[in-house]
Amino acid sequence: MLEKFKELICEYVEAEPDAITEESRFIEDLHFNSYDFVDFLGAVETEFDIVIDESEIMDLHTVGDAIAYAQKLQGE
Amino acid sequence: MKEFQVNGVNLQCYPLTAAQRLHNYTVMFCPFHQILNIGTGLYIQMDTDFEMLREAIYEAYWRNDFMRLRFHKDVDDTVYQFLVPFEERDIPIVDFSNWQEEDARRQMEEWTKIPFKRFHSPMNEIRMIRMPNGYNGIYMKIDHMTADSTAVVGFYKDVLEIYCSRKYDYPAPKPMKSYIEALEKDLAYEAGSAARKRDEAYWKAIIEDPDEPMYTDFNGMTRLLTQRKESNNPDLRSAVVVSVNPEAAISKYQLEKEPSDQLMQFCEEHKIPMVCLLLMGLRTTLSKFNNNEKDVSINSCVARRGTLLEKKSGGTRIHFFPLRTIIEPEMTFMEALKVIQEEQNKLFRHANFDPIEFRSRRTRYRQMKPGASYESISLTYQPLTIRSQDDNIPDIPYKSDWYTNGVAGQPLYLTVMHRVEDNGLCFSFEYRKDAVTDYEMEYLYYYLCRVLFRGIENSERTVGEILDMI
Repeated sequence: MLEKFKELICEYVEAEPDAITEESRFIEDLHFNSYDFVDFLGAVETEFDIVIDESEIMDLHTVGDAIAYAQKLQGE
Repeated sequence: MKEFQVNGVNLQCYPLTAAQRLHNYTVMFCPFHQILNIGTGLYIQMDTDFEMLREAIYEAYWRNDFMRLRFHKDVDDTVYQFLVPFEERDIPIVDFSNWQEEDARRQMEEWTKIPFKRFHSPMNEIRMIRMPNGYNGIYMKIDHMTADSTAVVGFYKDVLEIYCSRKYDYPAPKPMKSYIEALEKDLAYEAGSAARKRDEAYWKAIIEDPDEPMYTDFNGMTRLLTQRKESNNPDLRSAVVVSVNPEAAISKYQLEKEPSDQLMQFCEEHKIPMVCLLLMGLRTTLSKFNNNEKDVSINSCVARRGTLLEKKSGGTRIHFFPLRTIIEPEMTFMEALKVIQEEQNKLFRHANFDPIEFRSRRTRYRQMKPGASYESISLTYQPLTIRSQDDNIPDIPYKSDWYTNGVAGQPLYLTVMHRVEDNGLCFSFEYRKDAVTDYEMEYLYYYLCRVLFRGIENSERTVGEILDMI
């Protein structure tokens, strides 16, 4: 799932895929702004056929947080 | 996509997007077609090779396909858009170097007030300018149906980068993205996509909220109370905000670098987007002006530029939707900011929906009068400047300006942007002269700043305390 996340992230910000890790923070390290991030989660929803709970968006800080959350939704 | 034959030439035409239909709607009902003109200037204090600058502009026309957009009206009056392959119009030099800066500005405002021919004609106009005090640069007038502020900033940046790469051997700028590709994605969303259905359900629930929103005016209760009396409805909660007289002006207030830095630092420390802080300031000011009303709605304008394709393909993408918050006086400034952030995230998430459709559905559902609204102010925050994080442009003194086209559809439109000179904040209020005066604008700005600084100096203060203090 990390590889797919990297691919999606690179559609939003100019980042080297190899430099993206599960520890990368969306705002501080990858320089997402608030709109980028919310829109990116929309792309994640479409890609993985999940529905993200709007109230949980603010708890997703790192790529690892988002992957874990997407995996949890896929498992439900 | 549709194909038309015009003057013997086959044209591949695309329908308008929702963002463009919003502007087309404005121009259909406003007799002053300059309402869609955006007038801007960018000036640099250095010797300029105008021939090289002209070549850089032509190259930027080629790289930024949205700058070559034209419109076509079909026999049934439907408007379509198409691209022409290249741009070869003359780009004249105008010399204001011996003028007073204010006179030059007035001249450029006059240019900005001249409407474009709307069909089969260029939708922008560029002049190279010599300004007083050794500043040289570009004046550009562009139609809002083809560009928004992000597109304008992106185009200027591209021209400068091309110029600097030729003149000073700076690295050549990366390619821009295709406007048509971004357009096709927008049109695919509108053609019954699952994402559109999800957004439609969200806005339906907002419209049908059992609690009707409350109109809060930037001039206090008078407008609503007058309309309650005129309609003999003491419970009226919306107010008519359109006017037959759209004459408008722009008032700008510059927040100095140091206090601007304090606001930015607060946002960074607390992970609050600047737009949310500004919305908090504005909604609290409106609350203050309307008997401490708890229920406040502001039109939040969304640039809708998430992907690199959207960021670098120009065009016009802004949608605006009401951001409604009900904030109790016991809530702290920080708690209220979190509420706004959460609401703004929801709005972002569903911002691709057609804003005109949202408004017409709301008007029908609430049985509002034509031209009635719950929002008196629209807010845009423009984070981009020409200089932003860029090594492709040398460190030289810049000036930028926005020129009024003289008319406005909305009573008050606040754009907050960063100055190119020092990254401080510029608050640009475009207002309809029949709705508000320059003095009242200053009053609003003064209260807005008071709220912001009372809030950030102690974010554990309650909203009620701040309302009492200001």
